[in-house]
Amino acid sequence: MNRLFSDRFSRRDALLLGASGAAWLALSTSAWAQAWERLDAARKLIGDAKPSSDGIALDLPLISEDGSSVQLTVNVDRPMTDADYVQSIHLFASRNPSPEIASFEFTPRAGRANVMTRVRLNESQTVIAVARTSKGQVFATSRDVRVTVSGCLIRADTYESAGEMLPRVRVPAKTAAGTPAEVLTLINHPMETGLREGADGTVLPQRIVRSFEATLDGEAFFKATLYRSLAANPYLRFHVAPKASGKLAFKWTEDTGRVAEASANIAVG
Amino acid sequence: MTPAALTLWAGFAIGLVFGVAGQITGFCLTRGMRGWWVTGDGLKIRAFALALAVAILGTQLIDAIGLIDVRRSIYLGESFSWLLMPLGGVLFGYGMVACNGCGSRALVLLGSGNLRSFVVLVCLGIAAYMTLTGLIAPLRTQVAALTGAAVGEGPQSLPYLARAVSSNVARVVFTLVTAGLLLWFVFAHKPFRSSTKDIAGGLIIGALVPAGWLATGWLGADDFDPAPLVSLTFVAPIGETIQYAMIATGTKVSFGVAVVCGVFLGSLVAAVSMGKFHLEGFPTAERMARYMTGGALMGIGGALALGCSIGQGLTGLSTLALGSFLAAGGILLGGRLALRGPLALPPL
Repeated sequence: MNRLFSDRFSRRDALLLGASGAAWLALSTSAWAQAWERLDAARKLIGDAKPSSDGIALDLPLISEDGSSVQLTVNVDRPMTDADYVQSIHLFASRNPSPEIASFEFTPRAGRANVMTRVRLNESQTVIAVARTSKGQVFATSRDVRVTVSGCLIRADTYESAGEMLPRVRVPAKTAAGTPAEVLTLINHPMETGLREGADGTVLPQRIVRSFEATLDGEAFFKATLYRSLAANPYLRFHVAPKASGKLAFKWTEDTGRVAEASANIAVG
Repeated sequence: MTPAALTLWAGFAIGLVFGVAGQITGFCLTRGMRGWWVTGDGLKIRAFALALAVAILGTQLIDAIGLIDVRRSIYLGESFSWLLMPLGGVLFGYGMVACNGCGSRALVLLGSGNLRSFVVLVCLGIAAYMTLTGLIAPLRTQVAALTGAAVGEGPQSLPYLARAVSSNVARVVFTLVTAGLLLWFVFAHKPFRSSTKDIAGGLIIGALVPAGWLATGWLGADDFDPAPLVSLTFVAPIGETIQYAMIATGTKVSFGVAVVCGVFLGSLVAAVSMGKFHLEGFPTAERMARYMTGGALMGIGGALALGCSIGQGLTGLSTLALGSFLAAGGILLGGRLALRGPLALPPL
């Protein structure tokens, strides 16, 4: 038996087989690298931490005919306590001219780390979400979206410049103490990417809503930094879990410095 | 219930009514054209004309009082393709006669067990999506870009283009003239006046067009989640339904899919309760090939013309859009070519 083996496989053969097997294994694991590893911005954010994909969910349609406004929901399923809460969620579109879509910051008062928005996707690609908790835990996940030729006609401008920076807010009138309530916000704005040509052929300069802040009785519980990969008429749905009745205030800031504000009262009972 | 869910249920209900009415009254443009030009029976074409008159009156009314804004629909874009609209219509009309009924009729027939319609629907749906977003799509978008046309600026509808006179006066004039001519054509014919089935079919199906606008544009009006303003149409939605069945985990139901499901189920329920359900197939392979080709022609033509006999012939025309007149004219021409003349198809 031993003789048969050593007749067929010399020690050199065994070494070669072992080495090529190890090389194949190494290559294939890097070929199957996570989507976030291939995007510089996401890798920089994660740093040395080992992100888990368990506990973070990114919801996007599999196929979107119109890449200009694709609905996205990101959810990190963890209770938000003062000791341990989701501090931030970052979204990236790997193949957009600027991959950053938005960054969201939470405090425990937000109640849930769950945000719905609409994003711009230039082409079929992978959308990536990275979340960090206050304790330094990191989560990352990704979803592939196929963007096809727009089925129907060329979409004209979807905003009226007369109503620009006009915000709309929907807040439930009442909620139970400590229970997260949904807050819907929308503001009319073209989110001009700086890549579009106007009617006369000149490139329209970039002009976007840069940041959004939501406060409860003056204390900020949800902040968003928006980039040009967010769809026009920025829509943000997030949560608030107030302990007592109070006043919610919302502020949008354009990159030119223009500001829009809105407020709503919420009763706890 | 959220506006989005309300829209879907309303679409399903509209589909149910369409299916039941289609099954009971036999509403069908193909039969109408064949009757009008070949066999001398003018009932079905007048039922279609009645539906169109009701659709125009209803749509212009709800648009005038502000419940919806038809300019948000795809029929009233800022331009249209002067080539693809009529060409698509001709292809659709020809294919429609080839398989003895358009997409909506195929759905109604499927409800009574007609498996020929199943083949037509699958070919239609796949061909439509091939043209919209698939293999033929790049060619379509290139040709559309090269043949774009517009009469002046703004939404390409007759009243809007005549707004120099006065937009309200223009709307009223065009609406009353078109509806009036249609109604005169419809009711001047004695046999039609005594055919309650066809009058009912025309009235009900015509009323479903403004109902569709209200479902998507009024019930579904939500600033935070704007829904596209659509009404009855059957080319893209049939393709969408096939696609939805395959990738439901990664996509959502749309109004069109809800209508398609409703039409099939409504027709099925009506057929079974009237004892008219029985399975039928193809008598010969040649017949199957003819139906498959007809379905594909309808899918491609309907996608190019942005609508079918219902989508452009009723819904599009109800907005008085210029492009819809081209598309609907093309459908009539295509049907005519298939029924009489050198390109006529042998009767089934």
